[in-house]
Amino acid sequence: MTDLATRTWKRLLHEPPPLSVDPEQRLSEARARRPIEMARTRLLIAGAVFALCFVVLAGRLLEIGILKEGNARSDGGARLTSDAAPGRVDIVDRNGVLLATNLPTVSLYADQETVLSAEGAADRLLTVLPRYSREDLVERITGKARHALIERNLTPDQAFQINQLGLPGFSFERTERRVYLQGPLFSHVLGYTDVDNHGLSGIEAGLDATLRTTEPESGRPFTVSLDMRVQHALTEELNHSIEEFSAIGGAGVVIDANTGEVLALVSLPSFDPNGRRKSDDDVEFNRVTKGIYELGSTFKAFTVAMALDYGVVDMNDGYDASHPIKIARYTIRDDHPQNRWLNVPEIFMHSSNIGAAKMALDVGGERQREFLERLGLLNAYQLELPEVGAPAVPKPWREINTMTIAFGHGLSITPLHLANGIATLVNGGVLRRPTFVKQPEGATISGDQVISPATSEKMRRLLRLVVTEGTGQKAAAPGYLVGGKTGTAEKAAVGGYQRKSLISTFVGAFPMQNPRYVVLAMIDEPKGNRSSFGFATAGWTAAPVVGRVISRIAPLLGIEPVDEDADPIHRELDVKEVSQGARLASF
Amino acid sequence: MIRPGALLWIGASVIVAIALFLIVYRVKGLEKELTLLNQEAAAHEEAIHVLKAEWSFLNRPDRLAELASRHLGLQPVAAAQLTAGQSLDQPSTPTVPVSSGERLQGMLQRITDGGER
Repeated sequence: MTDLATRTWKRLLHEPPPLSVDPEQRLSEARARRPIEMARTRLLIAGAVFALCFVVLAGRLLEIGILKEGNARSDGGARLTSDAAPGRVDIVDRNGVLLATNLPTVSLYADQETVLSAEGAADRLLTVLPRYSREDLVERITGKARHALIERNLTPDQAFQINQLGLPGFSFERTERRVYLQGPLFSHVLGYTDVDNHGLSGIEAGLDATLRTTEPESGRPFTVSLDMRVQHALTEELNHSIEEFSAIGGAGVVIDANTGEVLALVSLPSFDPNGRRKSDDDVEFNRVTKGIYELGSTFKAFTVAMALDYGVVDMNDGYDASHPIKIARYTIRDDHPQNRWLNVPEIFMHSSNIGAAKMALDVGGERQREFLERLGLLNAYQLELPEVGAPAVPKPWREINTMTIAFGHGLSITPLHLANGIATLVNGGVLRRPTFVKQPEGATISGDQVISPATSEKMRRLLRLVVTEGTGQKAAAPGYLVGGKTGTAEKAAVGGYQRKSLISTFVGAFPMQNPRYVVLAMIDEPKGNRSSFGFATAGWTAAPVVGRVISRIAPLLGIEPVDEDADPIHRELDVKEVSQGARLASF
Repeated sequence: MIRPGALLWIGASVIVAIALFLIVYRVKGLEKELTLLNQEAAAHEEAIHVLKAEWSFLNRPDRLAELASRHLGLQPVAAAQLTAGQSLDQPSTPTVPVSSGERLQGMLQRITDGGER
């Protein structure tokens, strides 16, 4: 309101219209009253403003005090979430054992503007960080960035000592560091992260997005399908065998035959993932999921299953294995020659190349290819790891390929393919995708029925026969009904095969009357020694690993031992086409 | 001259002002306490986290194996050492066929009798 308006208003309300006043006097009177009126008006306006403010304040008070809906924030409440944001969830094994976590550490920074003397500071820092040279430290302090990173992930001890030095211009910053508590035990399968906690290999890389986006505050870690105890047993036994037979490496995997869960995955030699930078080092090569190998006679399990499933042969059919097969410039002969007619169980038990090749020929190349494809052996797996190897499939698939693939040459697959394929053969014929994520307890994992349950049942008997009577006797773990197949392959080299460089593999399942787990062990270039009578074949090197691993892990996994000589077991697992007890096999 | 109404208002405002100050100080005190407690909780949480990591680290299977071999002399369980519960406590020559319920009762009876003695 302007002065004029107020005055008019007042006049209209209170003052009677002046009737006969001297205009001169009226003017002076008005002039005298003006300041008073102005003051009054201002007071009124100020009062109104204050009243408004108080109404607002009162309203806010009511809101906070009575309605409690105002976002009343206190200094204290905000504190809890402001720091401590790990940004990457913990990884635990299937039993809840912590495998990977983020630990708080501090990093040392230098502020160039406030550092008094780079050389002096470097000299004193050297007493705490002796792994640097003096020049190196000076360069770091006087580097381009004003806020220069000197050293990441100091130990609490180092941080304390640097603090004690009292150097001006140096500051600490809290960071998180990924720590692998089991050291090298899970190196290949878990992988590791870079300094910014981004996955570089293994599950850390394959499930990077999941691990980063899961709310760490929820406190719920990521549970993988691995079992630390099984992983340890497998690692130890493989290491033992590698040492014993002076091998250059090894690999092993344990998978659940009914869910496809991977319980253990070992590739040796291994490395410590803590504080590791990405490199092309050989040790990082994951032999189980990425390495592809011609896995030799273990493939005969697929050949026999194929022939049985197509109805090409029955258990008491057989082939003449007395003469090597000559095709093109190759000769297919047996490593354990029996020089006679062999029936199907005998072909499998004695690992006859001739018999397997003839069997595959009877099935036919087209159907063989189709069968292996159905078992998932010709395509790369979709895994939770980025290290995935694609099988090397021959093109074109000629007759000679049909024959060599029958006994495991000419087609390279990963050991994981082999283990999962065997799981499919023994679990009733259901193919499932291998996974590294723990599946809900007792859940039925769907899969494709790729072979008939009847064939699967026969394969169980045949695989058991290899361990009771055939080439895999050293894989026996009394009470746990191990069944499996050996495979010794010569490594492919330019222009042929190296007779002395072997890949010895044993793949087994247990307990055979209702297989729960498949165990695979592969030894790379074992050398025979006195204890193996000079043999480096799978029956002497890889099979004992599987036997020892199974006798260690079966009690841990809750498998009840049985009396292997009990009648029901014999009824369920014996192969009547072979006279039991007669030692026919050689190694 | 001061009117009684004004006196009342002045008195009320003084009281309210004092009350307000007291409340403000109390709230400040409580907030300080809350901050401290939250910091303490966060510190404890972090300590728990680190201790869990340490626990897992100390339970590395190779370390446990080494300690066990040094101090315990335990061996892995052989299959022959395991047996099912129901195969135990089967009388080799059952004289009178009894139902398992009765047998259990008899067993409990013996145990309690033994306890009383």
